[in-house]
Amino acid sequence: MTAATLAMQPAPRVVLQYRDVRKLYGDFVALSGVSMEVERGQVVCLIGPSGSGKSTLLRCTNALETLDGGELLFDGVPLPRDPASIRKVRQRMGMVFQNFELFPHKTAIQNVMMGPSTVLGLSEQQSRARAEALLVKVGLSDKAGNYPANLSGGQQQRVAIARALAMEPEVMLFDEPTSALDPETIGEVLNVMKALADDGMTMVVVTHEMTFARRVADHVVVFESGQIIEQGPPAQIFDAPIQARTRDFLGHLGWDA
Amino acid sequence: MNLDWTIIPASAGALARGALITIALTVLTMAIAVPCGIGVAMLRESRLRPVALLATCFVELFRNLPIILVVYWAFYVMPVVFGIAFSPFITGLVALSLNNTAYNSETFRSGIKSIRKGQTEAALALGMSEAQAFRKIVLPQAWRRVLPVLATTWVTLFKDTSLVSVIAVGDLAHTAMQIRSQSFRVIEMLTAMAAIYWLLGYPQAKIADWIHKKFGVTE
Ligand SMILES: Nc1ncnc2c1ncn2[C@@H]1O[C@H](COP(=O)(O)OP(=O)(O)OP(=O)(O)O)[C@@H](O)[C@H]1O
Ligand SMILES: [Mg+2]
Repeated sequence: MTAATLAMQPAPRVVLQYRDVRKLYGDFVALSGVSMEVERGQVVCLIGPSGSGKSTLLRCTNALETLDGGELLFDGVPLPRDPASIRKVRQRMGMVFQNFELFPHKTAIQNVMMGPSTVLGLSEQQSRARAEALLVKVGLSDKAGNYPANLSGGQQQRVAIARALAMEPEVMLFDEPTSALDPETIGEVLNVMKALADDGMTMVVVTHEMTFARRVADHVVVFESGQIIEQGPPAQIFDAPIQARTRDFLGHLGWDA
Repeated sequence: MNLDWTIIPASAGALARGALITIALTVLTMAIAVPCGIGVAMLRESRLRPVALLATCFVELFRNLPIILVVYWAFYVMPVVFGIAFSPFITGLVALSLNNTAYNSETFRSGIKSIRKGQTEAALALGMSEAQAFRKIVLPQAWRRVLPVLATTWVTLFKDTSLVSVIAVGDLAHTAMQIRSQSFRVIEMLTAMAAIYWLLGYPQAKIADWIHKKFGVTE
């Protein structure tokens, strides 16, 4: 297919489709029978107790882990297996980690420039311009020259978000982006994420921030022991959960439906 | 005792030449043993079992042999294996490089292992290849961690170069011993030799200390 015919094709509505996804670690079943969809522009929040497989699902999504069964389609195409094609897929997905994983030997702006310059092959000048604009977007233009060690947790995570956005991804994957933060800096990161969602970014967010999920998500998926126990719009999950186990889980967090 | 210190200014030229050769041996050995050390460290992590095993054998062999034995070994074995005679300098350089490559590879291996897996994953998630992630993200961080160890290795190596004097490399130790046996000025020459090694070695040790302080306790 040429670029021109590609451009004429309407972009598929479903960006990520999980069909009966299965993942094993040795004998341990980390995911089984997971089926869900992420539509373009949607924010999907994954919630559930610790060890229920949420991170594993994100890691499978950008091929940091391989599936042991089922299918995962990205823009209608199954995830490839060869390293070169996997890299192409990863370039179109941004990932934000619980403990930031900024590159400590690079300044904030160098971290953001890393993808465009190394992976996309943009010139120093182009990557810098892109990085500067993104640092403005996450409210950190004055910290461009700081090394990660000289940034607060919330600032580091915002740089990490900018670093992922610098690849101009179609989907952003967040793995508990605020779990390692001091309570007073959680808000600034969630605000950046909310702004991204309002811009129409497709997002898959693993989170324990139920208020955020309730307010921002279009679709909420509840995991337990490697399986989806319930999914639906936030109003259903938080106000009228169908499954007793969903209610139990939310109850443990102090949320009463 | 009757000491004649005039032997020292009289042999100043020869001693200076010896000192230069000692310095050249140290610098060249490190220039070879650092990249080779990184290479061997990567081979040891290779997914190809025989490759990894071979690299491990190399390290365990040369790390556990006395350097002086490797020096003699290179002196007698290299001409047989390659069919030509190498100069004592090259022979000494090879022996020191084998030993230091083995040491450096262990240094780099532990440095590389100390970098969190998440760093590689963050690089891969950006779309980098494994090789780019290693070169751009892991290696630069590992460098800072191993620098103090490399500095210590350097200081030790500077002194250990004297071991190649047994195969008549014209280094400082060999030169001083030659003059001693020709002039019978034993005490004078040993004292001069000690003074020169110390004067050259002390600043290096201080720099190594500084590197330890600057890079030793990051994170
Ligand atoms: N590399 C691995 N090897 C073996 N088991 C693993 C591995 N990675 C994850 N697991 C197991 O898989 C299960 C799911 O882990 P996962 O990290 O996806 O959970 P999670 O829902 O993200 O939990 P949390 O909220 O604590 O982050 C856990 O029981 C975990 O111990
Ligand atoms: Mg997790």
